[in-house]
Amino acid sequence: MLALIQGEFAKLRSTRLWLWLLLATMSLTALFASLNIAFNDDPDTLAPPLATAAGQRLLFGTSAGGAQTLVAILAAIGITAEYRHRTATTTFLATPHRGRVVAAKLVSYGMVGAGYAVLCIAVVTAIAWPWLKARGIEPTLTGNGIPATFAGVVVAVTLFALLGVGLGALLRDQVATVVGLLVYLFVAEPIVTRIPALQDWSIFLPGPSASALSQITLTDQDFLEPWQGGVLLAVYALLAEVAGLWRTTRLDVT
Amino acid sequence: MTTASIEVRELTKSFGEVRAVDALTFDVAAGTVTGFLGPNGAGKTTTLRMLLGLVRPDRGTATIEGRSYRDLSAPTTVVGAALDGTGFHPARSGLAHLRVYCAVTGCPPQRADEVLELVGLSNASRRKIGGYSLGMRQRLALAVALLGDPKVLVLDEPANGLDPEGIVWMRRLLRDLAAEGRTVLVSSHVLTEMQHLADEVVIISAGRLLYQGPVDGDLEGLFFALTSGSPSPVRAAWTPKEGV
Repeated sequence: MLALIQGEFAKLRSTRLWLWLLLATMSLTALFASLNIAFNDDPDTLAPPLATAAGQRLLFGTSAGGAQTLVAILAAIGITAEYRHRTATTTFLATPHRGRVVAAKLVSYGMVGAGYAVLCIAVVTAIAWPWLKARGIEPTLTGNGIPATFAGVVVAVTLFALLGVGLGALLRDQVATVVGLLVYLFVAEPIVTRIPALQDWSIFLPGPSASALSQITLTDQDFLEPWQGGVLLAVYALLAEVAGLWRTTRLDVT
Repeated sequence: MTTASIEVRELTKSFGEVRAVDALTFDVAAGTVTGFLGPNGAGKTTTLRMLLGLVRPDRGTATIEGRSYRDLSAPTTVVGAALDGTGFHPARSGLAHLRVYCAVTGCPPQRADEVLELVGLSNASRRKIGGYSLGMRQRLALAVALLGDPKVLVLDEPANGLDPEGIVWMRRLLRDLAAEGRTVLVSSHVLTEMQHLADEVVIISAGRLLYQGPVDGDLEGLFFALTSGSPSPVRAAWTPKEGV
């Protein structure tokens, strides 16, 4: 299994995609964090004030908002590329028990997701620390429930990586998987969660579950408790893995 | 016939309404080069993919050294396969591609350099595969097949896209590999090439076995007589030998 994981990292390192997506993720995180701080005084803002614990949790939680979608896409590309470029043949010749290949990708992309999350946390911290101080707010990384937020961010991004592997294994088509993820996470879900009549059940969707977990809790919506969001997101990831494994082990590789 | 290295028994596979492989049975003797011939769409590639555990047969078995591919404990050290010259990520270098599969199968990284040397790609090893010609991709696919120093080679149309010099090179390499005691099963539709290369041929059409036996005459005449798809005037001159 260790050899398979090393193989996955060798595949990842052999192209530049991971680097470009990491830079995009860190830029997006820097943008979210900067907008959050810059417009926090705006009376119409949906974010709690930065002087409060909830406001600071939201600010540090934005690191997940930047990372999770792109990590899911990186993971989905990581598995669908095998079919798109037809390396699946060589991969499954080297490892005929295909479930092991999927397992190795889950472990590898889970680790990559956690790594991205940690770097995004560093980006937010580097921006927030001096900026909040300049505003006369004393930031903290150890109080205000911030450690739980950081843990939530790392878990949420890791689970999104697993979700991406599972979806990619299920759909196999790279364009369908990536476009589907982008449309769902950046368009469909934000619209659905803004419709008040649907909020009774929209809080159970993957995005809001992840927001609950990393505590990106805007004031105009209800969210689950962080642990509930985490459990639900883990269930989504698990369902995707099971479906993806089922397809991967059964379908012909032609 | 000496011991069989590959045994295919009653192998059958349909895709929807189309029966691609139909109760196909043949053996490949150890230490020989066996040509696997048939018109386009005869079921050659599907048969090879079933042999290698990539496509699930509806019925029948295919074994290599007595075991199905999935049951081989270190498959790449038993069988090396090159199925088409297209299974590469274009942004990866040839060396990186080989290193990935070295890592996965646990062979030492320098083995990647050795097989690149063997297939004559050392000079292009650090170039992206996206810039490789079809012939270079065929060489790289062969390099992947040779990584595990396997006893059996399964090659699907390996000469496609090779220039004349490449074809001669490939023929010599496969002959040398067989001379070392390895078994080579190679599909092709270039009959003149097979005439030079193969000890035995297996000819199929519409998923069924038409002929298995040695190459000891006019292969082209035999082929067209069997597949009845051609202008060959000698088609009636052949009768299929008792196969297997």
